[in-house]
Amino acid sequence: MMAGGPSALPLREAFRIQRRVIGALLMRELSTRFGRENFGYLWLFLEPLMLGGAIGLVHHLSGHGLPGNLNPLVFWVIGYVPYYLLRSVVNRAPSAIFGNQSLLYHRRITVLDIMISRNLLECAAVLGTMSVFVLAFGMIFGEWPREMPKIIIGMTLMLGFAHGLALLIAAGSVYSDLFERLTHLVTYLSLPLTGAFFMLFWLPTELQQAALWIPTVHCFELIRNGQFGTVVPTQYDIGYLLAWIAALNLLGMAALRRARRDLVV
Amino acid sequence: MIRLHDLTKSYRVHGRMREVLSGVNATFGRGEAVGILGRNGAGKTTLLRLVAGVEMPTRGRVERGMSVSWPLGFGGAMHYSITGADNARFIARIYDKPVAETVEFVEDFADLGEYYRMPARTYSSGMLMRLGFALSMAVEFDCYLVDEAIATGDGRFAERCRQALETIRGRSAILFVSHVPAMLRKFCTSGAVLRDGKLIRYDDLDQAIAAYNAA
Repeated sequence: MMAGGPSALPLREAFRIQRRVIGALLMRELSTRFGRENFGYLWLFLEPLMLGGAIGLVHHLSGHGLPGNLNPLVFWVIGYVPYYLLRSVVNRAPSAIFGNQSLLYHRRITVLDIMISRNLLECAAVLGTMSVFVLAFGMIFGEWPREMPKIIIGMTLMLGFAHGLALLIAAGSVYSDLFERLTHLVTYLSLPLTGAFFMLFWLPTELQQAALWIPTVHCFELIRNGQFGTVVPTQYDIGYLLAWIAALNLLGMAALRRARRDLVV
Repeated sequence: MIRLHDLTKSYRVHGRMREVLSGVNATFGRGEAVGILGRNGAGKTTLLRLVAGVEMPTRGRVERGMSVSWPLGFGGAMHYSITGADNARFIARIYDKPVAETVEFVEDFADLGEYYRMPARTYSSGMLMRLGFALSMAVEFDCYLVDEAIATGDGRFAERCRQALETIRGRSAILFVSHVPAMLRKFCTSGAVLRDGKLIRYDDLDQAIAAYNAA
């Protein structure tokens, strides 16, 4: 590590600087992404709100019932909104470093700070959207979440997973354009596998076992458990999910640190 | 105090590694104003980027015992999508400076007129340089890394830069890179020559200039 940089400071001072830097980055990200015109910051919520609402509505109107007699609109929205978080965090990762290179002129700003602030903002927006939907479903259909904390924990774990993945992709993008080209394709193709739009109990037992290897499946099951309670059976293992999150984040931070050394600004 | 230990940097050029700096050792003290001479392509910019911490050395390290500015005179360091004033706010937040004062100081110093409240992407390269220099003056670093481009020319701003460098010379260190010896005489107290990836320091500026011209 470079001497004299933030790393040479006492830990408390280093954290204070990091908090300050992330705060400043959040403010900047807000004004650059959404500007001050038209709806401005409101777009942060409106984008996932409209997408989630539209997806939910299409399935609601198409009139197919769901196993367990779940409200289709609620089911699709509750799946789509966390998926939106995963997708936007991962899809925005390849451009995170190159789009912010001028920030790296300031030694206080680390690549990790940039990633954290971008993803926190994304998460805040999606949490806002989720609250609006949950409130609306409660008031319109009387479908209040059975256990709200589980929804929040599920979303937070989704952020942790997506963030770790994003760190690795951002680090990779320093070495190859491939990440930029393939990320959108892969997130698009993997949509059916993430667990956003199916429930474990719909699947035959063997397929259930296979699906449980996929970490995001646990996220969606947890969130649905929070929304629907025991009306439908759910299965998830928070420990398994946490292990994934820890591994991705540790690897991601190590990769990012290496990539920063090789980065030509 | 800034110490460079065996500072080495290679870049990949057309698939081959090319060493730009090969083991630079040097110490720069507080209040020193060092003129670093080097031909085009000698690695002056690379040296500043490593000292600033914008890029990391391939080998060796930089020891910073004081706050060091980003390299001035190249653009960079700014956000092109936000206004000059928003850039000042951002810098103030990052470097723990009072926001309102910083915005006012930069407005006054950079002298951008109504452009100050327009996105930086609409600026000319000269205006960007002014904004960057003004921002760095607002932060008050212990050491400034300055490219000659900032103080050349005969405009009002170049004159103001020269005056500013003159005033900070008392309290801050300056590393000033140039390929024009005459520029150095204005601000620098000692000199160094960067050649073949090595840095040779001279206590006397004239010695440095003589060595540079002799090669």
